[in-house]
Amino acid sequence: MINSSKDRITSSQAVVILVNYILAAGILTLPRLSVEKVKTPDVWISVFLGGLIAMIGGVIIVKLSQQFPGKTFYQYCQEIVGKWVGGFLSLVIVCYFFTISAYEVRTMAEVTGFFLLEGTPTWGIILPFLWVGFYLIIGGINPIARMFEIIFPITIIIFLLVTFMSLGIFEIDNLRPVLGLGILPMLKGIKTATLAFLGPEIMLLLVAFLKQPDKAVKVVLIGISIPLIFYVLTVVMVIGALSVDGVVTRTWPTLDLMRSFEITGLIFERFESLLLVIWIMQIFSTFTITYYAAALGLAQLFKKNIKPFIYGLIPIIYIIAMFPKNINDLFKLGGTIGNVAIFLFGVLPLILLSISRLKGEKHETKSS
Amino acid sequence: MKLSHHNVRFFLVSLIFLILLPLSGCWSSKEIESLGLVAGTAMDLEKGGGVGGEGELEQEDRYLFIITNQFVTSETTGNGTKGGGSQQKAYKNVSETGDAILPTLRNMILRIDKRAFAEHSKVIVIGEDLARTLNLQQILDFYLREMEMRPSGFILIAKNRASITLESKEPKVIPAYQLVEIIQGHKRTTKISPPMILAKLEGKLHSGSSFLLQNVISENGKNKFAGAAVIEGKTKKLLGFLNEEELQGLTWITGKGKGGLVESFDEETAQPVIYEVLKMKSKIIPYVDGDSISFNIKIESEGRIAENWVVSEEAFKNEFLKRAEKAAEKKVESLVKNVLEKIQQEYKVDVSGFGNKLRIEYPYVWEKVKKDWDQTFSKVPIKYEVKLTIKDYGTVGN
Repeated sequence: MINSSKDRITSSQAVVILVNYILAAGILTLPRLSVEKVKTPDVWISVFLGGLIAMIGGVIIVKLSQQFPGKTFYQYCQEIVGKWVGGFLSLVIVCYFFTISAYEVRTMAEVTGFFLLEGTPTWGIILPFLWVGFYLIIGGINPIARMFEIIFPITIIIFLLVTFMSLGIFEIDNLRPVLGLGILPMLKGIKTATLAFLGPEIMLLLVAFLKQPDKAVKVVLIGISIPLIFYVLTVVMVIGALSVDGVVTRTWPTLDLMRSFEITGLIFERFESLLLVIWIMQIFSTFTITYYAAALGLAQLFKKNIKPFIYGLIPIIYIIAMFPKNINDLFKLGGTIGNVAIFLFGVLPLILLSISRLKGEKHETKSS
Repeated sequence: MKLSHHNVRFFLVSLIFLILLPLSGCWSSKEIESLGLVAGTAMDLEKGGGVGGEGELEQEDRYLFIITNQFVTSETTGNGTKGGGSQQKAYKNVSETGDAILPTLRNMILRIDKRAFAEHSKVIVIGEDLARTLNLQQILDFYLREMEMRPSGFILIAKNRASITLESKEPKVIPAYQLVEIIQGHKRTTKISPPMILAKLEGKLHSGSSFLLQNVISENGKNKFAGAAVIEGKTKKLLGFLNEEELQGLTWITGKGKGGLVESFDEETAQPVIYEVLKMKSKIIPYVDGDSISFNIKIESEGRIAENWVVSEEAFKNEFLKRAEKAAEKKVESLVKNVLEKIQQEYKVDVSGFGNKLRIEYPYVWEKVKKDWDQTFSKVPIKYEVKLTIKDYGTVGN
């Protein structure tokens, strides 16, 4: 079903999809979550290493997918570990994808409800979001990729603009000393930092859509380096302005950074709404791609048309999104998703890759 | 069949028009005319035996606040700009008493016809009594938590009552905004401490280190910045004040000043020579030897002679410049010495970032001493050197 040329995407489109998937809810809370663990200003090193780990994980995923050209994970998983286990694994990953999309939607609703649309009910924010996302993914991977290509440059320009405007309240002393208390505190933050780079798992499906699947490794490396730069920059600016002690108490430190300065004389004095705009676009892209991944998974698992699954997932996503009772529950859900992801996409692809390699060798010895 | 097609089209077209209707509105819109923009807030401690009376005996350990919000509404701005014959002010202050911030603010609803809107609140002034008796973290908790209040707002401490700093006799002035304008002056004098915004305050409070807040004093209905308030890190309460001279010394220690003057006197003629700071740099170098900690401050500055009363001397001569440099250096040294004595011996708190430097240079030592740093600091030997260089002397040579 994905062999038609209409459903192919270029390498640069794949990079954009990957970047837009990775950049999401994490950027608003990453400074706090990682500082809580590290407790020294070395957080940015943790984030950097987290990105490198995500790259390694991404490359393994790509290598796995490249063994089965033109096939998505849902299709080749059963080939590797058999029908039942493979089907089960695919189902788990489908669940993962729609849970993450529900999580993103809810985070979006919480933040916009708090900062922009006070008084608007949560369903009033979530439903239009779901419908627009639904409208986008009904067209398949190509419209999604093109939509992301529009979002991507806007994000970069506004993000860099807003970040550098906060230089006025930046103090380098807040970031010193580097590795003052040794390497150990910094290592504690790596897990948290790595979780901010959730996203390379989309390569399990994306490689099958690529026009040039052999360039997939490059796609992963570039696709993760861009968010890596974003994240390191964010962490450096936020800690530089608010200091380590100030960051841990703020719920949304990155937004607070943007709210902490006013620039008179420009057309706008305040820039947090600009940040919120790009951030909502990023959430939207993460939401749509995971939603699509879940629907595609179900369609390929049951070998049916994708449309009924797209329809069917909307209420499920809505219910999961409304499930966390308060913001702490929501953060907890985010943590759980992260822990599941570490196993699903850190360990599992490696196992599958070695199994498929072993099998491949067996086949070769048999045929020879 | 055809009819239903028409029906669908009619339905869709009418939908377009229906969508147009809510387009202009917003779910939670607020009309600007009905808003009371909060320009600034003042917080004071209610002096005992006040108006309320009721329940005072049972609640002796509870403190009461007086919160004064400065409102700028569509009507008051009209008053301000018209000027003319009316003696009305450009602002409206509303005070309310209560024992926690938010309930007090909500009680203001009973007094004002506008919806209070704090997105444009620029400054919070805390009265001396309040800051001395209560923990700043608790006082400001609401303001740090509330999302309508921007973390870019400034914090000031008022000598005496905070509420009178939000009053002005001049008709067109909005005192809260005036305070913010005065804060901007820190670029041109060493007598204003670097502005403290809510966002940075939170880090300071949380880290437990002592720090300074700008102090404002109201004299005859006019505000004046007079030195700084010392906040102790452990108790998060106001400990005392530094006067302008002492604040100047402190600015030289931290090197955070962006400009300012040194008023020195020529040795031979006893006439004033004014040195204007163009560049200021200071380096606090910690030394750790076993258990003993000491500091060395290196202050360097470049500047010009901005005013010279010594008529007989020509600035073209290098000897005179050298003499003027020496005199200015002496002045700065005495300023530094003065303030170090005050903070080390009288207040016993580190408000000038010595601890921070120690944290950066000797993180492990800092981990050991940070708990009782203010105590340790009060006994630490500090040496200082001042080096001023006069680059030029303006447009007059002799």
